[in-house]
Amino acid sequence: MARAGLSVVLLERGEFPGAKNIFGGVLYRKQLEDIVPEFWKEKGFPMERHIVEQRIWMMGKESVVTFGHRNEAYKQPYNCFTGLRVKFDQWFADKAVQAGAIPVYQTVATDVIREGSRVVGVKTDRADGDLYANVVVIADGVNSLLGKALGIHKEWRPDEVSLAVKEVIALPKEKIEDRFNLEGDEGVTIEFMGETTLGMAGMGFLYTNKETLSLGVGVMVDQLREKKVKPYALLEAAKQHPMIRKLIQGGETLEYSGHLIPEGGYHSIPPLSGDGWCVVGDAAQLVNFVHREGTNLAMTSGRFAGEAIVEAKGRGDYSRASLQSYDRKIRSSFIEADLKKYKGMHQLLKEQDPELLFDKLPHALNEAAYQLFLVDGLSKAQKQKTAIKLIKDAAGGTVNLLKLGYKGWRAMNG
Amino acid sequence: MSESISDKLFTIRYKCDDVSHLIIKERDSCLKCAKKDCNYFCPSDVYEWDKKQKLTTVAFENCIECGTCRIACPYDNIEWVYPKGGYGITYKYG
Amino acid sequence: MLHLIVCIKQVPDSREIRIDPVNNTLIRQGVPSIVNFYDLHGLEEALRIKDEHGARVTVVTMGPPPAEKALKECISLGADEAVLVTDRKFAGADTLATSYVIAKTIRKVEEVWGPADIVFCGKQTLDGDTGQVGPGIACRLDLEQLTYVGKVVRVDPSSRKVTVHRFLEDGIEVVESSMPVLITALKELNKVRRAPLPGMIRAARYKPYIWTTEDFPDLDASKIGLKGSPTIVSKTWVPEVRKINGQAVGGESEREIAGALVEQLWKPVCRKNSGGHREGRESACLREEKLNRPPIGPITAACW
Ligand SMILES: Cc1cc2nc3c(=O)[nH]c(=O)nc-3n(C[C@@H](O)[C@H](O)[C@H](O)COP(=O)(O)OP(=O)(O)OC[C@H]3O[C@@H](n4cnc5c(N)ncnc54)[C@H](O)[C@@H]3O)c2cc1C
Ligand SMILES: Cc1cc2nc3c(=O)[nH]c(=O)nc-3n(C[C@H](O)[C@H](O)[C@H](O)COP(=O)(O)OP(=O)(O)OC[C@H]3O[C@@H](n4cnc5c(N)ncnc54)[C@H](O)[C@@H]3O)c2cc1C
Ligand code: SF4
Ligand code: SF4
Repeated sequence: MARAGLSVVLLERGEFPGAKNIFGGVLYRKQLEDIVPEFWKEKGFPMERHIVEQRIWMMGKESVVTFGHRNEAYKQPYNCFTGLRVKFDQWFADKAVQAGAIPVYQTVATDVIREGSRVVGVKTDRADGDLYANVVVIADGVNSLLGKALGIHKEWRPDEVSLAVKEVIALPKEKIEDRFNLEGDEGVTIEFMGETTLGMAGMGFLYTNKETLSLGVGVMVDQLREKKVKPYALLEAAKQHPMIRKLIQGGETLEYSGHLIPEGGYHSIPPLSGDGWCVVGDAAQLVNFVHREGTNLAMTSGRFAGEAIVEAKGRGDYSRASLQSYDRKIRSSFIEADLKKYKGMHQLLKEQDPELLFDKLPHALNEAAYQLFLVDGLSKAQKQKTAIKLIKDAAGGTVNLLKLGYKGWRAMNG
Repeated sequence: MSESISDKLFTIRYKCDDVSHLIIKERDSCLKCAKKDCNYFCPSDVYEWDKKQKLTTVAFENCIECGTCRIACPYDNIEWVYPKGGYGITYKYG
Repeated sequence: MLHLIVCIKQVPDSREIRIDPVNNTLIRQGVPSIVNFYDLHGLEEALRIKDEHGARVTVVTMGPPPAEKALKECISLGADEAVLVTDRKFAGADTLATSYVIAKTIRKVEEVWGPADIVFCGKQTLDGDTGQVGPGIACRLDLEQLTYVGKVVRVDPSSRKVTVHRFLEDGIEVVESSMPVLITALKELNKVRRAPLPGMIRAARYKPYIWTTEDFPDLDASKIGLKGSPTIVSKTWVPEVRKINGQAVGGESEREIAGALVEQLWKPVCRKNSGGHREGRESACLREEKLNRPPIGPITAACW
């Protein structure tokens, strides 16, 4: 918008953009490139490591079954890379400021200002704090008090969000490269589930940065509440898991943090625009939790909103009808397609006992793998049988396993 | 508050306001509340049930502004806003 | 209309600084830069005078280019104009060189926006900590001087008089002075306001005036930057907590007391205080010490 010559104010409640923000750490090239072409060639670009390998770990008590993929083809140009929000957000916001946006930080937008059904600005927590505008872009993240003030969504339910806690752990570069088998700026991501969430629906992550690791665990808030576990105790437990302990050994915790992640998916998306407003990013529940994508959806939805507003300015019309072009852009993009693809997932997670998916199955997998690799005189055929039986039993019999498999398939493809 | 969490919170930079941005709406609801969930789910141990005074104490200075308590208090008993602009937490890494 | 000039310095927030126990150096990573908070109290007082009597408030600082952010903060609070004096040649300045350049800057500000009635400084800075720059400026500009001011009681533009409370160790001194005057501010002076939204927006758009050595044709090059700074920091360390061996100095007359005091002060300081970086007396000590051991290079360039 600023590039198109519109007058834009960038409101941020933190000391600077990024001051309040955390995420796991993976940013995606494509969607950022659409906004800042060839950003990775820039000298000051705050990339940590570009990802050449992604691993998924199913955790047992003191074991793990791993899946992973490493590929040199992910390099040049990078597919995705790790980052830290404090640096990245400032860099990104400065792009907007360079384009002419007016940065107003340390200021909370406390409410929307309405004239009839139209949104005409926001109130802030400063003296003479009313700020009028043709369009308000609501981009206030998962808590979205503005979205609530506007009435487009009620409060999220505890089963629509998960709480993640994270630590940034310092480790010398050489240690990181050795432990993760990396060269130069290469990086690895690990997502883990199972034992580490104590049977709750959730996931952990361990990502490599230049000289730090990002380690976090997130679980659905309803289940966290149910289990009465302290979130940081969960993180501490994960740190003690032998598979993780050995990777972070000797590291010093530089920072602890916590944040909510919207997990409602397709069905939780509120109306996206109206008279004088658009809502983007987490505030609109635009997160693909199956693939831990959020920043890219936030960036792209922000870009679409910007484009729609520039068009609306051309027409001199900021009504709902005019801003609907934002909704249409989302509809015809990967955002809608991806979120739709997984729309059953949320339901699946809710219907299934979380213990089955996040506890019993990972454990059974570990046990099965253990049996399979154990050389104890049993024939391989017998071993295979035991392994399959273990997994079936965990799911509650063949029929249930098939049902689960089918439902899972539907959730992802239905 | 346990040792481990105070160490963790020490890694974050705080600029505390003099007034709390977190307000318990009704003391009675807390009295009725059997499980006192907020004593557990908060990632920075802000809430603690004070047995003597029979009320939930709020160490708002520790809050890392995640929003969980607003959503998860079963009695919807926590009035939750952001700290004043520029106050509250500032991460160094994020 | 009154013209009030506020001198500010951007400093690392020392409440956030930790000292690396191995190297004895400051760990500056993640430490935010802020406006020295005593200076903010000076600015606030200027703004209150502006609110009450109407005044023009100009903020000046000497520092590296990022100090622009500190000036913008002052603009958001309500200052009218802001000047950043910056040049590599100013780098490494001690209090002598700093007060020289700031004094010159104030003269130039007066040429542009009119003569100054009150100059505000902070009591001291969070990083340099000397508290010498304010008085240094007053000396050079021949201004009246009110240090350690905890309250401004009255400003009377017509009689050109200022009445203040100076908070001293042994009590409060009520002083009246005529303008032009230089005031150094304590934190008790006032409560600093929160910038209003229009101020934030003005600040975001505002570009401070940037003056370099070229804007000061009559500057004496031997008095600025490292060259103009006789102070040498030979060593810094974390002081150990030690017992204070207090000693009362007495005498019949004031003259006698002063004499005894000076005698006591000169002796021990010259032996112990090799790390002080104040002007005059201790510089002399350092020079004395240098005779006894190889000189350690100055590290002034690291200041800012
Ligand atoms: C790491 C470090 C190393 C240092 N090394 C040396 C050294 O080698 N030699 C040396 O002599 N000094 C050194 N200094 C101190 C020197 O840079 C002083 O900071 C500077 O001369 C100003 O003195 P002060 O900070 O003590 O200010 P004070 O005299 O304490 O400041 C009083 C007031 O004067 C005003 N003021 C001060 N500085 C400025 C400014 N730049 N612009 C506008 N107004 C100002 C402000 O209102 C301030 O509140 C060092 C400082 C640091 C942090
Ligand atoms: C632990 C964790 C791990 C994640 N991992 C990944 C990952 O690996 N990859 C990925 O792509 N995504 C990940 N995500 C998701 C991703 O972080 C979010 O989807 C993304 O940050 C959403 O961006 P946003 O701009 O919508 O919201 P936010 O990033 O939350 O930004 C909202 C901004 O608005 C400000 N704000 C809020 N309210 C107000 C107000 N009233 N007034 C003024 N300012 C306000 C906030 O301070 C903040 O700066 C993760 C999230 C979490 C919590
Ligand atoms: S969970 Fe809610 S109602 Fe229960 S004690 Fe905590 S604040 Fe009170
Ligand atoms: S917002 Fe999060 S950190 Fe703050 S009190 Fe609520 S649950 Fe605790």
